[in-house]
Amino acid sequence: MELLTPEFGLVFWMFVAFACLYFILAKWAWPFIIKSMEERADLIDKGVAYAQEAKSHLDNAKAEADKLIAEARGEQADILREAAKMRNELIEKAREEASEEARKVGLAAQVSLEQARKEAEKQLRTEVGDLALQIAEKVIRKNIANDDAQRALVDQYLSEVEAKN
Amino acid sequence: MKSKIITAVVALVIVLLMGMGYKSAADHRAHSGTDGSFNVKETIFEHLGDTYGWEVPFNHDKSIPLPVIVWGKDGLHCFMSNRISGGETYDGFKISTSEQYHGKVVQVLDDGTEYRPWDFSITKNVAGLFISAAIVVLMMMSLKRWYVRSGMKAPRGFKGALELVFDFVYTDTIRPIMGKHAPKYAPYLLTAFFFILTMNLLGLVVIFPGGANLTGNIAVTFVLALLTFIITNLSGTREYWKEIFWPDVPLMLKCPAPIMPLVEVLGLFTKPMALMIRLFANMMSGHMVVIVLVSLIFIFTTQFSVGVGSVTTIFSMAFSLFMLMLDILISFIQAYVFTLLSTIFISMAIVEPHAHEAK
Repeated sequence: MELLTPEFGLVFWMFVAFACLYFILAKWAWPFIIKSMEERADLIDKGVAYAQEAKSHLDNAKAEADKLIAEARGEQADILREAAKMRNELIEKAREEASEEARKVGLAAQVSLEQARKEAEKQLRTEVGDLALQIAEKVIRKNIANDDAQRALVDQYLSEVEAKN
Repeated sequence: MKSKIITAVVALVIVLLMGMGYKSAADHRAHSGTDGSFNVKETIFEHLGDTYGWEVPFNHDKSIPLPVIVWGKDGLHCFMSNRISGGETYDGFKISTSEQYHGKVVQVLDDGTEYRPWDFSITKNVAGLFISAAIVVLMMMSLKRWYVRSGMKAPRGFKGALELVFDFVYTDTIRPIMGKHAPKYAPYLLTAFFFILTMNLLGLVVIFPGGANLTGNIAVTFVLALLTFIITNLSGTREYWKEIFWPDVPLMLKCPAPIMPLVEVLGLFTKPMALMIRLFANMMSGHMVVIVLVSLIFIFTTQFSVGVGSVTTIFSMAFSLFMLMLDILISFIQAYVFTLLSTIFISMAIVEPHAHEAK
């Protein structure tokens, strides 16, 4: 039964030892350790919250960037479409203008050709008339070059020839 | 294969040598014993109990002397324990061999009777208490120094383990139970936890700084339980006392004969009593089993032969190793259980009236 009866001296010293330990630790250790650990826990919590916020920001930024890129792509497509349209219009216009010009040039050429032909015809007519008159003069040995009646006659003949042709 | 054979041979030689060592030790003990045989009971109680000096390994006759402080019939006496170690009388004091005061310092009066003085000796257990307290202070101060020096960095190594245990006890146990009262009671609970844990673990170390069976001594657990009892009842609210003397039970149970109040008042004392006995019995039985297992070697060696003793050694050592492992676990569990139950008892005493109505 010796084990079950508390020894007075040991009870006394245990009380003293515990009291000393309590006052030392309660004064210098526990509050400080608790405070430090809680501060660190807060810091870690804050760090986690901050990281989460930063991550959500980053995610948002990515979405925003994607949106911007999509918008830019759309604009780019619009611009390209516009440009293609404009180019086509320009080409169309240029083509029209060119064809108009060509038509005009062709017309002018026709006119000048007609004129030249008329000129040539006229000249030919004159020369042929002259030639015929010379021939006729030679035939009749008579200068009828200045005879207007003759000339008119020849002219008439020539017109007939021309009509036949 | 070859190395295995060498290991086996070396192990066998060691076991035989150990057995012979035990034999000689047992013989030595047997010769010095009064009845000529190995006294198991005496050995066990000597190791579980308290002594005036601190025994050293491999030498039973010499021990580290510790101060003996006694208040006898004629005032205060202080001397070192080695003056009375071998049954000698110093200044009228000796270690009693009588039935009543066995192993304690007594004053031999003029008429030859023994008088047990007020004994404030720094015995092995008291020295163990101081060493444990010093270790706790050193550990906690080193942890505090870490916070002062390194601020927000997490501690590594031993300090990290210490912080883990601290966090487990304070953040995960005391704070959730106590709530806003935690900072007020945490110093006591934490001091109790770390003091008990250190004493438990130090008790498992068999040589000098350890070896004192502190928490397996009822005086130590008595003081701890008494402190919890005092704190619980000093911080008891009106609601707590009302619950004891006028609990919420049918009138029959409390009016003519105060059955429930009686049970509640009994509960006041049984709760700390259970704390005291639980810690004491757990730690003491752990020590006792290990000592009995080791004693088996001596018993078998003296009773039979060195061979039997050697074989016993193997089993005894295996079982005591297992028991010591278990004791390490129990050291933590019991320190934790004591703290947890103290926390719960105190938190039950600081109950608020509205919390009760909400139930």
